[in-house]
Amino acid sequence: MAGFVHLHVHSHFSFMDGAASPAALLQHAAGYGMGALALTDHQGLYGAIRFYRAALEAGVKPIIGAEIVIEAAGLKADAAIEGDLPPGLRLPLSAPVGFGRAAGAGFHLTLLAQDITGYRNLCRLLSRTHVRAGDEPSVVTLADLEQCSDGLIGLSGCPCGEAGSAVLTGLGARSERALRRLARCFAPGNFYVELMHLLTPDSPRYIASLVALAGRCGLPVVATNNVHYAKRRDFRIHDVLASAGARTMLPGPYDRPNAELWLKPAGEMRRLFADVPQACDATLEIAERCSLDLGLGSFHFPAADVPRGETPYSVLSKAAWRGLEQRYRPVTPEAVRRLQYELSVIQDLGFPEYFLTVKDIVDFAKREGIRCSGRGSAGDSIVTYVLGITDADPIAHDLLFERFLNPERRQMPDIDVDFDSRRRDEVIAYIYERFGHDHVAMVATVNTMTARSAVRTAAKALGHTPDEINAFSRYLPWVSAHRLPEVLETYPECRDHPLLAPKHQLLVELATELDHTPMHLGTHLGGFIITREPIDSWMPLQWAAKGVVVSQYDKDDIEALGLVKMDILGLRTHSAISDTVRMARERVGEAAVPEPFELPHDDPRVYATIAAADTVGMFQLESSGQRNLAMRLKERDFEDIIAAISLFRPGPLEAEMITPFIRRRHGIEPVTVPHPAMGEVLRSSYGVIVYQEQVLQVAQAVAGFTLAEADSLRRAMTKGRSRAAMEAIKTHFVERACSLGVTHDVAEEVFRQLEGFAAYGFCKAHAACFAVVSYATAWLKTYYPAEFASAILNNEPMGFYSPRVVLDDVRRHGISVLPPHINASSAEFTVEQDGGAVRVGLGSLLHMTSRLLSVLEAERAVRPFADLADFLKRTRAEEPAARSLIRVGALDGLGMTDAGRPPTRDEMLALVPELKAVIARQGVAGDDTLLIAPARARGPVDTGHVSGWTPAMRLSAELECLGLAITAHPLSLARADLERRGVTWARDLPACDDRQRIRVCGVRERAQTPRTRSGKRTCFLTMEDPTGLIDVVVFEDALNRYGDVIVKNRAYLVEGMLQNNCERGIALIAELIEPYVVRDDQRELVRLRRGVGAGPLGPTLGGAGAPESECGEAIA
Amino acid sequence: MGRNRAIRSFDPRKTGQPLDLFTATDTRTPVIIELLRCPWIVRGSDLEHGDPSPAGTDSGLGGKRREWGIEVVWDGERAAPRSFLLDGRRYPVDAVVQTWAIERAWWDLRRRTSRRCFRVLARGGLYDLAYDRIANRWLLTGIVD
Repeated sequence: MAGFVHLHVHSHFSFMDGAASPAALLQHAAGYGMGALALTDHQGLYGAIRFYRAALEAGVKPIIGAEIVIEAAGLKADAAIEGDLPPGLRLPLSAPVGFGRAAGAGFHLTLLAQDITGYRNLCRLLSRTHVRAGDEPSVVTLADLEQCSDGLIGLSGCPCGEAGSAVLTGLGARSERALRRLARCFAPGNFYVELMHLLTPDSPRYIASLVALAGRCGLPVVATNNVHYAKRRDFRIHDVLASAGARTMLPGPYDRPNAELWLKPAGEMRRLFADVPQACDATLEIAERCSLDLGLGSFHFPAADVPRGETPYSVLSKAAWRGLEQRYRPVTPEAVRRLQYELSVIQDLGFPEYFLTVKDIVDFAKREGIRCSGRGSAGDSIVTYVLGITDADPIAHDLLFERFLNPERRQMPDIDVDFDSRRRDEVIAYIYERFGHDHVAMVATVNTMTARSAVRTAAKALGHTPDEINAFSRYLPWVSAHRLPEVLETYPECRDHPLLAPKHQLLVELATELDHTPMHLGTHLGGFIITREPIDSWMPLQWAAKGVVVSQYDKDDIEALGLVKMDILGLRTHSAISDTVRMARERVGEAAVPEPFELPHDDPRVYATIAAADTVGMFQLESSGQRNLAMRLKERDFEDIIAAISLFRPGPLEAEMITPFIRRRHGIEPVTVPHPAMGEVLRSSYGVIVYQEQVLQVAQAVAGFTLAEADSLRRAMTKGRSRAAMEAIKTHFVERACSLGVTHDVAEEVFRQLEGFAAYGFCKAHAACFAVVSYATAWLKTYYPAEFASAILNNEPMGFYSPRVVLDDVRRHGISVLPPHINASSAEFTVEQDGGAVRVGLGSLLHMTSRLLSVLEAERAVRPFADLADFLKRTRAEEPAARSLIRVGALDGLGMTDAGRPPTRDEMLALVPELKAVIARQGVAGDDTLLIAPARARGPVDTGHVSGWTPAMRLSAELECLGLAITAHPLSLARADLERRGVTWARDLPACDDRQRIRVCGVRERAQTPRTRSGKRTCFLTMEDPTGLIDVVVFEDALNRYGDVIVKNRAYLVEGMLQNNCERGIALIAELIEPYVVRDDQRELVRLRRGVGAGPLGPTLGGAGAPESECGEAIA
Repeated sequence: MGRNRAIRSFDPRKTGQPLDLFTATDTRTPVIIELLRCPWIVRGSDLEHGDPSPAGTDSGLGGKRREWGIEVVWDGERAAPRSFLLDGRRYPVDAVVQTWAIERAWWDLRRRTSRRCFRVLARGGLYDLAYDRIANRWLLTGIVD
């Protein structure tokens, strides 16, 4: 073992400061033969758990600690704070360190956890410091340190520590007082004077002085190196991060004189401290004393509410049997057997409390009428079904419990529940109330740098202006930073990118090296940790930017600690379903609209709607890829919906399952399986292994595995195994199969298929849970389209499409779109004319305020608004909002001018400032103001419309102020021009021949470039014309030619070959893409901004029409 | 107190000066006397102001420095210079008094400095030797006066 251990080490979890990952630090330490390594990030333990786990794997002893910021300890009694001292005796305070609201400025002190007591105290100390009331700074007090120092070893800190800083300033006495005071906070022998030889001209004097002081105080010394990067050349990244973090240019807040903060080998450290060998010996001694065992692998559940005389199991069991009676009418022997089995497994594994916790939360939601649904592999369990957590019957859909909970493997179950996003806060409030604020916190997420953020960070540090920085990051695709040089070189949208200039070579180099560096700590969308003990004994907490208490650990850390994490996810689809049901019941009566989640799944009209690819707004079925799949699949029953949801997933796409599935379904190719038992199991999927559950069933049917064994086999096959390990698994499988009479060749072929598909199959239970929600949305869209569309628009942003497309879809269904009006519209979209029309709401209007919305509705209830002056007088509308309302036509037709007609929008816009001035001066404005003060504005441009505006002007204003096209689809104004150009409309595409050459035109809705297995780049472009949606596939060669056209424009003319067959569906393979500028018949420009997106190509899934090999691996 | 006055009033017998190069007065005094007698010593106060280094690089020790390219024999075991050649004479290094590193302005090719410096005791005085990592050569960056 090396003769030195680094005890003061920052990883990149010292946000915007440390430049090395814990893994890199461990790799170097192990390479140097160091038996232990500490991690002491600023003000927290953000990387501690992953460091701990990686260290154990690397065979290095992990020492967990933190470098905290502490108040002054060496002040004399007559000075309470630094400012009380005369200027010559004050110590300089270093720049604040730590992340977000846990950042603090003060003196540094290094703490190391000696054991689990020390770890818990460190968590408590950090939490107490960070989670204070109000805006108190995150600085540890001496009193808190004294209370929480049990099990902790303290080191006096770097030159930013009080002792070091005083020595450098020449205040030896202050340094001595600080050392003595700090030493008193710790147990005897647990405080060390920290020496750093940072190879500056001051270093020898610094060390000599501290050694002398330590001798006087009777304290031991220890050598450290304030490590901020693993190897010397990474000092640049540290400087860049520190500069960008402090919002300064290089050299940044520390102005480091050299690059010596790297993880030096033991020999180098010993050489630096040749005069003080005891300081190096002390590192070994401390490493020996620290032996922290976090007890990973055990589970810690929150306390369940169990009445006296009962156990968690008995309570769970009783609830489950009650639920069985309600869910199964009549109760079947199979359901009884299954429930008995699952309950016994849950009891054996010790999980009843977990199920009770989830049930408790779901019961609350149901009690309060908050729509919710479980998802994920939890759907495989009959227990979750009968407890009301999930809604898909596991027996009817052939779902296997072992896929959720494997009796052979004791793993924490994970039940995710989606709640109505609008009422999610009520659920969260309940969790805090039920389990106690001291036992609940939100899970953190670590946001790391991608190409864009890395470029921005490096550019900031190098002193570029904000405009330059925006120019650098604009049009950069969403890729990892390490791919930046390649992307700049090869991506068409990066043609002429400013970063290609030779003078920015250093910037690109730095950005590349910043890849995956944590940038900040975010808050998980819905993850909550619930603990039995006070949560600050498990992990440090701090305030998140949005005002909630968040853990410093992410979900993987929580899982590793064996704590319960509940995902309380908000699903806007639930809100939309609830809204649709409410609106529909208001119109047709309470009894006429059943609860959509309780519908029998057998309505042919619903399946016809899906099969016609009329799925805009339907949960999980609306993406362009899903619409394309629907055209090929032609869903007929609920199993088909489950299949559709499962097939269009990264795994099945990568394994190219769709093609054989579709071909076999339509009888184009025969269903062939190597073993008849396999054919039975895979009957519903035509011999293709689509679901993970089917892997288990095949292993059971062919090789006689138990389902638990089969699940272990599936897991073993899905992990990256070595060839030898896979060979061993195969031999085992083949032997078991042969022992049942299966021939060797057949057994090998079955295994080959399992091996090929096991890693790519989708969890059927997850798809089945989603399918329940999908069916509900499909049913609502089929029977209440106006209410459904209004509900979706009221809950935006949600789903795959923009509000503009949802509104266009409504129009295509023959439902009128009524413009917004101050005398008719409310904040939300509403249904009028007995379901025949949707009235646009004012809530999403540009510059609209919630105050104005509420005043507007209250005043209108008194009497309708007569004209602009009346509106402004009664609502005191802010000028920007008033202008937006006028521009979208919300005041059209109100009032009368001296020309004997209502004022035009131009006249009203010109009047607004004058009226506002009159109202402000007099407090009132006469209703006849418009007659008295005619506007100085141009007359009506289009006399045929009350607004005086042409359709192009109206449409441009609607797109800009609402993001919607109310007057008409933008391209419908250019219909004559497009027909002259020989454009084929979307609605005519199904009638076109396969491989026919056509030209289409559309405004951009989505442009995505999911990664493909071949490594080639394919763009899936979803466009919309007045008659519908068009899917365009842009393969790599076309993308190289036209990528910049796609990125920099919003409407395109695309020419290419149409693909129209039952195997691939309908999509256009692009060969030529041109930008299209939308003008009406009078050549007037239609501005598309805000209503139609532009910009970089997204990475997400949803493409349609391409071979599956070209669309693999996208959404996680 | 002005700088020159401070130098003139420097008391070699007094301990606790800011830079304790030697542990006792009796070892410090002969060195200083020898330094002051040395015929080729360049006093800092005699040097021109400004940055005299040919490449315009900053030695990290202020502007009053001259830099000469120099030949140094490296002692790999001690990780320090063993001797250096100056004006045709070889000076064995008696002791390494101090060592430091400089890494400055790395983002600016014209101003970048990357050096490993050694203050060594050799015949005739204290010498600052620096290895320039960019030019890959040794420099005599100064003689402590």
